[in-house]
Amino acid sequence: MVNVTAETGSQQEKTINMSPFAIARRKFLRNKLAMISTFFLFAIIIVSFLAPYITTQDIAKVNIGSMSLEPGGEHFLGTDKSGRDVFTRLLYGGRVSLLVGISCTALVILFGTLIGSMAGYYGGIVDSVLMRFTDFILNFPFLVFVIVLNTILFGLVSGLWVLIGVISLLYWGGVARIVRSKILAEKENEYILAAVSIGCKPSKVIIKHLLPNVLSTIIVQATILFASLLVIESALGFLGIGVPQTIPSWGNMLSSSQEADVLRNKPWIWMPPAIILTVTILAINFIGEGLKDAFNPKSNR
Amino acid sequence: MKKKSLLLMLAMLLVLSAFLAACSSDNGNEGDNEEGSGEEGEAAKGGTLTYGFETAPEGLFNWAFYGIATDADVLNLFDESLISYDENLQPEPGIASWETEDNKTFTFTFEQGVMWHDGVELTVNDWVFALETIAHPDYDGPRYANVQTIEGAPAFNAGDADSISGLKVIDDYTLEITFDEARVNNLVNVWSYPMSEAQFKDIPVAEMSASPQVRQNPVGLGPFKVENIIPGESIEMVKFDDYWKGEPNLDGIVIQVLDSSTIVGAIGQGDIDMVYLAPVNGEEVEALDNVEVITYPGLSYYYVGFKLGTFNAETKEIKEDKAKYEDLNLRKAMAHAINREEWIDAFFFGYGDPIDGPVPSNHWIAAASEDLETYEYDPEKAKEILADAGYKDIDDDGFVEDPNGEKFVAKFSHYQTTNPTFETRAQAIVQYWEEVGIKSELEMVEINLYYDMIEKDDEAIETFFGGWGTGTDPDPTALWGSDQLWNYPRFKNEESDKLLADALNVDIVGTDQEARKDLYIEWQNLVTENLPMIFVAELQEIVALSDRAENITFDVSGYNSPHEWSLKQ
Amino acid sequence: MLKYTIRRLIGMIPMLLLISIVVFLLAKAMPGDSLSGEIDPTNTDPQYIEQMRERLGYNDPLPVQYFNWAKDFVQGDFGTSTRYKMPVSELIAQRLPNTIFLGVSSLVITYILAFGMGIFAGRRPYTIGDHIIGGLNYLGLAIPSFIAAVFAIYFFSFNLGWIPYSGSVDIQIEKGTLDYWISRLHHVLMPAIVLGALSTASYTQFLRNDIIENSRKDFVRTARAKGTPTSKIYNVHILRNSIIPLITFLGFDIATIISGAIITETIFTYPGIGQLFLNSVGNQDYPTMMAITMLLSLLTLVGNLVADILYGVVDPRIRLD
Repeated sequence: MVNVTAETGSQQEKTINMSPFAIARRKFLRNKLAMISTFFLFAIIIVSFLAPYITTQDIAKVNIGSMSLEPGGEHFLGTDKSGRDVFTRLLYGGRVSLLVGISCTALVILFGTLIGSMAGYYGGIVDSVLMRFTDFILNFPFLVFVIVLNTILFGLVSGLWVLIGVISLLYWGGVARIVRSKILAEKENEYILAAVSIGCKPSKVIIKHLLPNVLSTIIVQATILFASLLVIESALGFLGIGVPQTIPSWGNMLSSSQEADVLRNKPWIWMPPAIILTVTILAINFIGEGLKDAFNPKSNR
Repeated sequence: MKKKSLLLMLAMLLVLSAFLAACSSDNGNEGDNEEGSGEEGEAAKGGTLTYGFETAPEGLFNWAFYGIATDADVLNLFDESLISYDENLQPEPGIASWETEDNKTFTFTFEQGVMWHDGVELTVNDWVFALETIAHPDYDGPRYANVQTIEGAPAFNAGDADSISGLKVIDDYTLEITFDEARVNNLVNVWSYPMSEAQFKDIPVAEMSASPQVRQNPVGLGPFKVENIIPGESIEMVKFDDYWKGEPNLDGIVIQVLDSSTIVGAIGQGDIDMVYLAPVNGEEVEALDNVEVITYPGLSYYYVGFKLGTFNAETKEIKEDKAKYEDLNLRKAMAHAINREEWIDAFFFGYGDPIDGPVPSNHWIAAASEDLETYEYDPEKAKEILADAGYKDIDDDGFVEDPNGEKFVAKFSHYQTTNPTFETRAQAIVQYWEEVGIKSELEMVEINLYYDMIEKDDEAIETFFGGWGTGTDPDPTALWGSDQLWNYPRFKNEESDKLLADALNVDIVGTDQEARKDLYIEWQNLVTENLPMIFVAELQEIVALSDRAENITFDVSGYNSPHEWSLKQ
Repeated sequence: MLKYTIRRLIGMIPMLLLISIVVFLLAKAMPGDSLSGEIDPTNTDPQYIEQMRERLGYNDPLPVQYFNWAKDFVQGDFGTSTRYKMPVSELIAQRLPNTIFLGVSSLVITYILAFGMGIFAGRRPYTIGDHIIGGLNYLGLAIPSFIAAVFAIYFFSFNLGWIPYSGSVDIQIEKGTLDYWISRLHHVLMPAIVLGALSTASYTQFLRNDIIENSRKDFVRTARAKGTPTSKIYNVHILRNSIIPLITFLGFDIATIISGAIITETIFTYPGIGQLFLNSVGNQDYPTMMAITMLLSLLTLVGNLVADILYGVVDPRIRLD
């Protein structure tokens, strides 16, 4: 009994001397679920991006002789209706889906932070103009916009980049709002007033002083975003308006479940992407929870 | 305490699921319990047949206004044409019979005592009413082309006349129609669906298509009358006792709209009695014990077209100014490269056949394959033709260069919808070309943009996938004439234009169908020799019938009269 | 409060105007129009198509087209659907009850499940039951709704045969009878569960955490010290405090459900607004598409307003102006 209190006592002592990020790191590393999820996510990302080295199957070639083969034998997860190896496509599909997810998350965080911090820092007319604009973007008819831009830019830009661009342009609204409110609260602190009064440039105040303090919020937001962007990609692919159909992605693989025959009788074609997508999102959510927990000074699990 | 509420929740879940199960088992038996067994040897009476639809009707339930085939499928059950077509697509008398001497003036005689569903007798005035509605300046449907050829219709359409001068009502059952000139196809072209004057007379033409007489309470002449419509979901029809060909066997028909993903399950469980299937579902349904699958030849086909020129919408002229596929030998080699049998088996599950010419093989004007120049799958021959035409692999990359030694890449475009199989079947065609040494690339284009690009002869379209259908009227001018927007390959050939014109000319073919057919065969020969498109496949219509359904038969013109249909009791 | 509401409502007008311009331009920028698509020579001809384009005003200058549309729209005339050839307002009126029914059912399901699970877990934090519910929640948050829908159809419709394949009601049942409503309920159940699943997870989580937090507060301790029975403490004192913040979610739910309905209705072939919207996009039915987009935007704005107002109502400390 005595020992235990002594130990927690010393632990608390140690944490007092650590920076908030070091504390968060320690908390995160102790969180088993979050750590397993992190390993899993990295494994998925690495395996997907190394796909060309892992399997040698041609992803585009239609093999009329070996269509809709059940799992087993030469094809570990079977083949789809065009005779393409499901496992190979799953890897390549992961590459595309994760690429869309990661690049959109990066861009969305960039735009959102930029707009949000400017609105929060300057306040007044800048704030209301930017926030009206954010409201407007949040109300944008997303689906219609995706279809229209895809057709306007047809032949000029690859459909994959159009999709990434459109999603990034229309999705930063939520991040901007959150960053703004955090900055608003943070800006009232004396150290900011001090920085401004000694003549720091606004850009420096924002980048050097304000952003580090909202970074934890942004990181947590990024994980949530990453998960929901994966869903967006797959939903658009499922509806047939996402990544071009010639490129395999998890969403495009899932769209095969719209066909009755596949849905009912060939679950090995649509279940793998459905399961891997769900598990990936689950992992990202756990990481997000872990991060939230780690950054929360009140929690001491 | 803890355990108790967990158990409670489990129990609730169980109750909920039991409730669900009970509901569904109730559903399955509905409609089966009608009584009344038919006499020996005769079709059984009674019962309600459930007819599954894969797409929802738009709700324009009038022949003059409907737009899509699904609405026509509904219309076929409760309304009918004055003229019907036999299994050779030749017109035969229905409610109306006709006489003509010169193919210009026709005298139509109606059966007497034919009733509309609202109890009013059909007269020729109803037909005149329909024709005048369609020719009316405010009419917003697409059928004017079928009335235009009647003498005086253009004047009426322009508002210069109060009636169409070519229509002469002799009595309630006799109508004389005079066309602007003698044509071979005046009869099959003219609008042959009457419209109930009693129902529509008080409605301005401009408002007809939105009226309840079209949408909610349509009235027809057919064996069943519409009882109840749930838009986008289902339609209930009951038998029309006074149907002119006799009382229908069935008590009624229910049309149920189903998602394509659920059709196989629904017919397997006996929830529906009749449904048209997509090829992909055919095999699975054929394996069911309680379902009979019937196929009959359709009237549409798929092709791979080459863009040979551009169309000027102003002057309506084609300029053959695209040189890439100008070389007939290149086109022939590309045709020989495609294994059509394998392709059809893989993507249409065998519910189709290779087609060798521009007319579906079951149409009466179709030339036999033996009489046409055909392009069988023969990769060796394809390579040979390519080599002879100067397409040789110079840089040893496995693909041929064009005769000038430049890199040659054939681009193939296919439309894209939510259907994931389109990409696959298009990819397969690209692979066939690559196998004979033609470097090819595939581009999938969103379907609306696709047809827009094809119509405007966009630079990005080189070879393209398409499909089209022919109706009962064999005249293919709309698709092949060199002044036609819908001549997508931009095929320009004076001989072809002349043959097509001759086949419609009474002075040349008279009323002799054989003479007409000969001209069309000559034309088909000409087209296949010039190969503006690779003819790929003609599809079959596939119908699944439950084991309860009886007396439903099909030929190339569709099904028999629904009043003969019956259900085993 | 009234002043605030009115000010917010007026503030919506420029936003809606801006959105209407964008929606209109997007519709015009879409490839083809309602008259293009796969050709059918047996059915129509190019001359007719050109004539209809002229009549529908597709050849007018864009600003003229916009003002005609906007003017009619404000007066409640949403135009005529080019596909169904009937007024869009009637079309929407036909489908809206189905979507509302679906939305309400999904809300009811969400509330029942979330309350059941949230209260259960909140009262027994860190027990097996709590962990199971927590796991279910994570799963609910992680499974995209369209995947859930596909799985639901696969298992419950195909393999178990519990739920109908499609539609909103069985046509042969007489309207208005008890059977009719049971049939409707039966049809709506699965899409509603799928649609409600996402909010169920976050509600449950919220309720659980809030109950745990409240149970540590002083007023609970006081009640306990006075000898109030545990069940009464939870059911009356704590729950009342925990439900209040949940009410504010209602506003956001309106928008979430409507946009979620787009994909759910399509997969279940449930004839509501969402399915109509996707179809209208696919068929280039601009008037319908524009009207529904405007409707969705309006609902989102109203939803946000309702959320803010409710927030003020339940927590008087929050000033609305």
